[in-house]
Amino acid sequence: MALLRYTLSRILQMIPVLLGITLVAFLLLRVLPGDPASLMIGARGSDADVLRLRHQLGLDRPLWVQYAIFLREMASGSFGQSLAYRRPVMTLIAERLAPTLWLVGLATVLAVAITFPLAVVSALRRNRLPDLVIKTVFTAALSMPQFWLGILLILLFSLRLHLFPVAGYGSGPLGHLWHLFLPAFVIALGTSALTIRSLRSSIIAVQTAEYIDTAYAKGLTGRMVMRRHILRNAAVSTISVLGVHTGWVIGGTVVIESVFAIPGLGQLLVASIAARDYAAVQGLTVVFAVMVTAISLATDLGYALVDPRVELE
Amino acid sequence: MTSWQRAGAAALVLTAGLAATPIAARAQTVFKLGVATDALTLDPIATSDNPSIWSQLQIYDTLVRPKPDGKALEADLAQSWQAGADGRSYTFHLRPDAQFSDGTPVTAADVVASLKRAASPKSQWARFFQPIAGMQATDAHTVTLTLKQPFTPLLNNLGLFSAAILPAAEANAAKLPDMPLGSGPFVVKEWRHGERMVLVRNPHYWDHGKPYVDEADLIVIGEDNSRVLQLESGAIDAMINVPYNQMSRLKASPALRVGSAQVFRADFVMLNTKRKPFDDLRVRQALNYAVDKQGLVRGVLFGNGEVAADAMPVMAWHDASLKPYPFDLAKAKALLQQAGLGAGFSTAMLVPAGDAAAGQVAAAVQSNLAAIGVKVALQQIETGTQWDVTKKGDYQMSISYATSDTIDPDQLFGFLAVNPERADAYHTFWQSTKLNDLYAQERTTPEGPARGKMFQQMEALLHDGAPYIFLYRPTTTYAYRTRVTGFAVLPTSNWRLQDVKLAH
Repeated sequence: MALLRYTLSRILQMIPVLLGITLVAFLLLRVLPGDPASLMIGARGSDADVLRLRHQLGLDRPLWVQYAIFLREMASGSFGQSLAYRRPVMTLIAERLAPTLWLVGLATVLAVAITFPLAVVSALRRNRLPDLVIKTVFTAALSMPQFWLGILLILLFSLRLHLFPVAGYGSGPLGHLWHLFLPAFVIALGTSALTIRSLRSSIIAVQTAEYIDTAYAKGLTGRMVMRRHILRNAAVSTISVLGVHTGWVIGGTVVIESVFAIPGLGQLLVASIAARDYAAVQGLTVVFAVMVTAISLATDLGYALVDPRVELE
Repeated sequence: MTSWQRAGAAALVLTAGLAATPIAARAQTVFKLGVATDALTLDPIATSDNPSIWSQLQIYDTLVRPKPDGKALEADLAQSWQAGADGRSYTFHLRPDAQFSDGTPVTAADVVASLKRAASPKSQWARFFQPIAGMQATDAHTVTLTLKQPFTPLLNNLGLFSAAILPAAEANAAKLPDMPLGSGPFVVKEWRHGERMVLVRNPHYWDHGKPYVDEADLIVIGEDNSRVLQLESGAIDAMINVPYNQMSRLKASPALRVGSAQVFRADFVMLNTKRKPFDDLRVRQALNYAVDKQGLVRGVLFGNGEVAADAMPVMAWHDASLKPYPFDLAKAKALLQQAGLGAGFSTAMLVPAGDAAAGQVAAAVQSNLAAIGVKVALQQIETGTQWDVTKKGDYQMSISYATSDTIDPDQLFGFLAVNPERADAYHTFWQSTKLNDLYAQERTTPEGPARGKMFQQMEALLHDGAPYIFLYRPTTTYAYRTRVTGFAVLPTSNWRLQDVKLAH
């Protein structure tokens, strides 16, 4: 019950945050030099043609009117018409949302799957060979440009070993998993480089706590202590690192989308900014904001699940 | 093993196992073309991006179309046409057998409705068709256009994608359907935006026997290197825009063929002639002598292009005897000396951000000009902003390029060299009254050698006036697997997928 009330109140709190974000997104776009109509007409028309198109697109109306229209269209769920695609922004976003969610979701699952075993090994073999190898490999993975790492993996796993497709999004859930494995793996490597370090230090810190001695004293095996007591306590800080990083990944998949030809939101955002497609950028900003706040909510709920001492209010 | 480890290992095994899933065999022939960017729209009059243009040319027909060599027009929906002796009328005779992809015949009424739509205020391309004063469907297969005064570029404009012929019912509707009907070689079967456009052959296409393939897929792969990898793996059959530095490697591959098409594009550095010292012809010419353009063609294009004598691409009536400014530092220094700038000067150049080639050109031009004492500060600028900044005249030098939508040099001369016209000689604010006069004259002169001579004079005036540092004309690179024949990038940068054949 407390959990439900907490979730609802957090969702209510999101509304003023989102309104603030719409205002910032709206104003930033108008401050940015470059005009959608003159970009569309380019060299092909005269100033009169540009003015006519601005009028058709409603760009000559007062700013507050344009903002009110944007809010109305957001409330209606359509987010207005994309200037470049001439289709409702929500339709554009709906088409691209699934690939991005699959990609980020799979990347997060892979990151967790990589992090836990490797962090435990690192902590238990602290400053010995396994720890040093893990540290070196992941620091290298984090420092490598993602597009380069992506292309290396395509060369090895797709062209040489024929294990994965070269690119694309596939169809059906299994097809998505197969097609998105390599790109998600590249993202997961970057995430795990952070989470392994964070979890490793937490494990080391927790290991010296008195309740761990108690656990051993009551006769638990090392493996049971690790699972029930150390990992559970150490994971709390890693969940927040993972949450913050996943929020960042959502807006930062454009490079990976481009290398692996995934029709996701990142590519749409970059193309829309370049075309000064006001409606599309505004709609995307709101959708990204919703996703990031949703992840932060999920992170907080995750604490409560892992650590019963955390009180939600 | 912890439960996390077990779950992770299971996921790995599961995912790897999927790789063995066989791909269903197809009896149909499918040609897959890797492109860098998806189309935005299928509405011809709301189109300003190349990917939309290239897709639309597979779906719609126009009355006339450029020949594959880009030098003249040929019949498309109109099997023949006559221009009136006074240059004020054109009569088009439609192919009696032309049909839209649903089997309904293409009639003169469809042509009139489509051209009216293209000339209407809601069209971004209205200017190209507004010289038409009257449109008449004389009978079911004859269309007559009348003009107030002769306007020679009109015929070429009718070969533009924006003059695509749609069914009258769709052209007259308030809103065009998302997937309009066309009479071109292909029909859109499925469009997964940002991912692929699936085109299937139009069984009613007038050019019987074509297209040779049952299906042509335009697959969007944004990253150049990924596109190359997909081609090498056989996931796609052909691709456009091979990175220049990979051309020789792909050429050596026995599974692939490469092509380098001379397209209508020229690259240059715009000079703001309203600002000192670029108002001085000697300074502008000195800059042209000081840049090693041959070095740029070698270093930036890896030989995929040629040095340009002016800002025009090689189009109809181009004068091949016009020679580029040679790389001559002594001459450049002497000209600066005459202009009273023997000690050089400091200036700034806008460089489009995110364009690797432009970045390389900027660095090369900067070091070339340093040799004659001209210090150039480089300013990265986002391309959406660059247009507005140069339009306001708020710059000194700016790296840019021009491409042509039509095969008639008229359009680009109007943009690059005529002031004011549409863009104040592409924001250089350079003006030549002689060139302006020739432009006005050329537009009312019937197509032929006399008009060609005018274009050659205009090109020479542009070369001599040097409102730009003329750089080079790059080619468009492409590559395809050996089982493909008939695929080529045309001078207008598009391709005709109806000519593509696949060997088994």
